[in-house]
Amino acid sequence: MVGIKLNKIFFHRLFNNLVEFFRSDASRFLFPALFLVLVFYIIPVIISVYLSFTPLKNWNIDRYAGEIIGFENYYKFFYMLTHDPSVKAVFLTTIVFVALTLTVNVLGGLGLAIATYFMSEKAAGGTQLIWLLPRMTPIAVYSMIWYYFFHPSSIGTLNSILLHLGLIDKPIDFGQGIIPWGAWAIIVFVNGLVGVSYGMIVFTSAISNIPKELVIAARVDGASNWEITRRILIPLLKWHIIYVTTWQLLSLITTYDHLFLLVKWGLVNRDYGTTWSLYIYNTAFQLGETDQGLAAAAGVILVLVSSGLGLLTLKLMGFEKMIKPPRGDI
Amino acid sequence: MVVVRLDRVTKIFKGGVVGVKDISLTIKHGEFMALLGPSGSGKSTTLYLIAGIYKPTSGRIYFDDRDVTNLPPKDRNVGLVFQNWALYPHMKVYENIAFPLRLKKLPEEEIKRRVLDVARMLQIDKLLDRYPWQLSGGQQQRVAIARALVKEPDVLLLDEPLSNLDAILRISVRAELKRLQKKLGITTIYVTHDQAEALAMADRIALINEGRIVQVGTPEEVYNRPATVFVGGFLGNPPMNFLEAEVEDLDKEIFLVIGKYRIRAPERYWSIIRRLKTKRVIIGFRPEDTSIKPESLDTICLPGRVYGIEPLGRENIVVIEIGGELVKIISGRRISLTLDQMVWICPVMEKIILFDPATGKALDRLVVEEKIRAI
Amino acid sequence: MPGMRDVEIRSRSTELLIMCIVFMLSLPVITGYALIILSSFSRDMVTNLDPSAFKPTLTNWILLFHGRTALFAGIRVNIWGIVFNTLIVALGISLLVTITGALTGYAISRMNFHGRKHIMALLILLHAFPGSVLVVGVAFIYRLFMPSYTYVVYYSFFFVILARAAIEIPMATWLMKGFFDMIPWEIEWSAIVDGASRIRVWWKILLPLIKPGLAAVMLFGFLAGWMDLIYVRTFLAEPTLAVFIEYNVHAEYAYLPLVAAAGTLYLLPTILFFLFAQKLIFTISVSGIKG
Ligand SMILES: Nc1ncnc2c1ncn2[C@@H]1O[C@H](COP(=O)(O)OP(=O)(O)OP(=O)(O)O)[C@@H](O)[C@H]1O
Ligand SMILES: [Mg+2]
Repeated sequence: MVGIKLNKIFFHRLFNNLVEFFRSDASRFLFPALFLVLVFYIIPVIISVYLSFTPLKNWNIDRYAGEIIGFENYYKFFYMLTHDPSVKAVFLTTIVFVALTLTVNVLGGLGLAIATYFMSEKAAGGTQLIWLLPRMTPIAVYSMIWYYFFHPSSIGTLNSILLHLGLIDKPIDFGQGIIPWGAWAIIVFVNGLVGVSYGMIVFTSAISNIPKELVIAARVDGASNWEITRRILIPLLKWHIIYVTTWQLLSLITTYDHLFLLVKWGLVNRDYGTTWSLYIYNTAFQLGETDQGLAAAAGVILVLVSSGLGLLTLKLMGFEKMIKPPRGDI
Repeated sequence: MVVVRLDRVTKIFKGGVVGVKDISLTIKHGEFMALLGPSGSGKSTTLYLIAGIYKPTSGRIYFDDRDVTNLPPKDRNVGLVFQNWALYPHMKVYENIAFPLRLKKLPEEEIKRRVLDVARMLQIDKLLDRYPWQLSGGQQQRVAIARALVKEPDVLLLDEPLSNLDAILRISVRAELKRLQKKLGITTIYVTHDQAEALAMADRIALINEGRIVQVGTPEEVYNRPATVFVGGFLGNPPMNFLEAEVEDLDKEIFLVIGKYRIRAPERYWSIIRRLKTKRVIIGFRPEDTSIKPESLDTICLPGRVYGIEPLGRENIVVIEIGGELVKIISGRRISLTLDQMVWICPVMEKIILFDPATGKALDRLVVEEKIRAI
Repeated sequence: MPGMRDVEIRSRSTELLIMCIVFMLSLPVITGYALIILSSFSRDMVTNLDPSAFKPTLTNWILLFHGRTALFAGIRVNIWGIVFNTLIVALGISLLVTITGALTGYAISRMNFHGRKHIMALLILLHAFPGSVLVVGVAFIYRLFMPSYTYVVYYSFFFVILARAAIEIPMATWLMKGFFDMIPWEIEWSAIVDGASRIRVWWKILLPLIKPGLAAVMLFGFLAGWMDLIYVRTFLAEPTLAVFIEYNVHAEYAYLPLVAAAGTLYLLPTILFFLFAQKLIFTISVSGIKG
């Protein structure tokens, strides 16, 4: 009884708020964006959730989409997770990939931001441009560049360097031959380069907001670059580091486009080069027999994980604003 | 404790902005030197050049006989206090003060001893466990000074350290700071744009305008014998009054003609005026060195009309119009004046300073310069 | 000390050391890009760093523009058509993202409405949705509204532009919000006091003031559309440069230096932006993350 009543109040208030919102000027400004987000963001996610309860295969919507099979796809996915070596590999790869790339991204971004701080302005600008390049490059070209860099034949740049140095006598197949670490190294490297720029930018702009007197006063007192980094810059960037870490964590869990071609072209092993997110895409669109129901089930689990982390990020961002100290701090 | 000497130091920034130009200045051992000038005149630039934060475009800087021109700041052993104090927001007061000693890798016990000593001296020993943002402005300022002093610097450099404090606190801190400086006997350079502050605290004042040093001297010297119109107009509240006049040389006497009126030029200037063949001068006289009389036949007095009266409590500032120009006179409260009343103002003859309108320099300075050139 | 980052007198040796290290770390990136670009002007791929493999030629580019993907065989593609497709998608997304971004950015920056906080939170939470889960649902909608055969091409372009633009909306909104935030309120108030409607104020007064912001979002949307791989390969009925490269990089018949030329062509906007719009790129990257 109480539940129903509460619900009634809740919906009443929701309804009132919605009416209020649509009456407001703001709704006119927000309408186009809300429409697009609704149709191409929110409804698809709801559909994905729905599809995870259907046996949809090969996009045969007429035949399968109306059928509800309960949690069968979920059972199947968990069964595969524990028994299918490929899916096990994907799971392991996801964890290793996210952990390592995250480390590379955050530390790399921090390192670059601090390194460029100690450089002349010109050199800093050049460095930032170089490290922004991967993010701004068409994914296909970017994948192609690393495809040739790590190519398993002597045409590959890395192989030819190693050959010239006499470290190896014949080309190595890094992505397929050295399993799993070769494949992992490549995907972490390729994605790491894209992600580093994010941290670099956030940290650079945060550092530029630190009053320069702090650094200069420390210099007058005799601080070296390392001491300024350790005792002043990093403590002042604490919140930014936490923020970048959670944000990048989310990105890495959900990203797959920079891996797609590396796997498709066979540069890296299919199992140890595929993350959970890519696995969902490939299951739904790529493999010989596509299984959208299974893909959706795997997807829903991923959504649960990532939206939990998303809420955490929100908390952190709000927190950051709340603790804003009165003066000096950034 | 050292002597700081700047030898023809010039600093030009990227883009050609002139910070300071051709500055030569010696700050004596244990001296409290104030750098005084308007905003953008190059005071901070001078200070940062001494600290080693800026590298001079030309010229040399010496600490005693040591050429420190290219020495990085950390090797100069200077203590620096910024205008905004630059306290580290993530460190407690204790850590802030200890920081310079930490960098020197001193043993923990010595750090503690020195931090406590300096904190006690500045009466902030109860605040050591707080963060900077938990302190009042005055307390933060003490912490900043403590941090500069804890390393026992050879030179103490202060960049407008009091400008973030409110007016009353500023005046009480002034005296304290001066006492402290004298007690420690540390060579101190103090940047300020507040003339009262400079006059009250400094042993000597260096006036800077547009990147150049205009005059260096004790507060009495720069106040009573300003070298230029700028110095006269910058010091004092209200500042020196200026009236332009034509020179009328009647062989026996020299008169200065202001509009319809004329006054006798002070006798000590006669030879100078003749020597320089000056045609026009600017007459400078201080508001407090001038009296107001209802009637006068004195040849030094000028008639004027009372334009406004600003009571200051102890005295009045009387604004008087003379031939279209306004001058300010400080008068005792005994004389009662009404608006538009005609009065006579009489500057004290000995305190009048004559300037050259073309260069703005005092005439006696010009004579000295000419003599030097002649040699 | 305006514009100062550090004291002017300091030892340059650590700075040099840092620069050397960063340069060494940047070397793979520089090499990777340089080798692909160089290969496009060479008869053989030079990715093996062998100088003797570099035989300068423009053949690759000529063949590419003639639409021949192999040196001798007869496979032809309409490369201009492919570039055109890519351009349409990129421009469409750019336009859509700019308009919606400018609208939402304004609303969030300037208006206090019911649910403002929720919408801001939603924009951030959207980042947490895995793209691959999304694309399954989007594909379902795509198939649900599939028109008859004759219109599929138009439909697919339309669909890709809308769907891909939707993904960029959160970013574009933050970006524009940042620009609107910088404009003093008084400018707007005086117009509103004079009786202008919000839409009018937005269109007549604010948009002209944030031209750099609009340029930044436009560029940002263009690059997003231009570089996209997944949406175009999944939904678009016609190939784009991304798809062309996807199918030719490891195809046996493909003449690799020619694919390198296609890649370089595809890279061209990025390079041009880096050469001529560095400021804008920094603006985008800096303000894009203020959220
Ligand atoms: N790092 C810098 N780069 C370029 N120009 C500078 C720099 N620092 C100072 N300037 C310029 O040099 C001139 C002198 O500046 P300075 O900071 O020394 O003035 P100041 O006397 O301290 O003024 P204030 O009382 O306002 O602090 C000014 O025109 C200023 O714009
Ligand atoms: Mg200053």
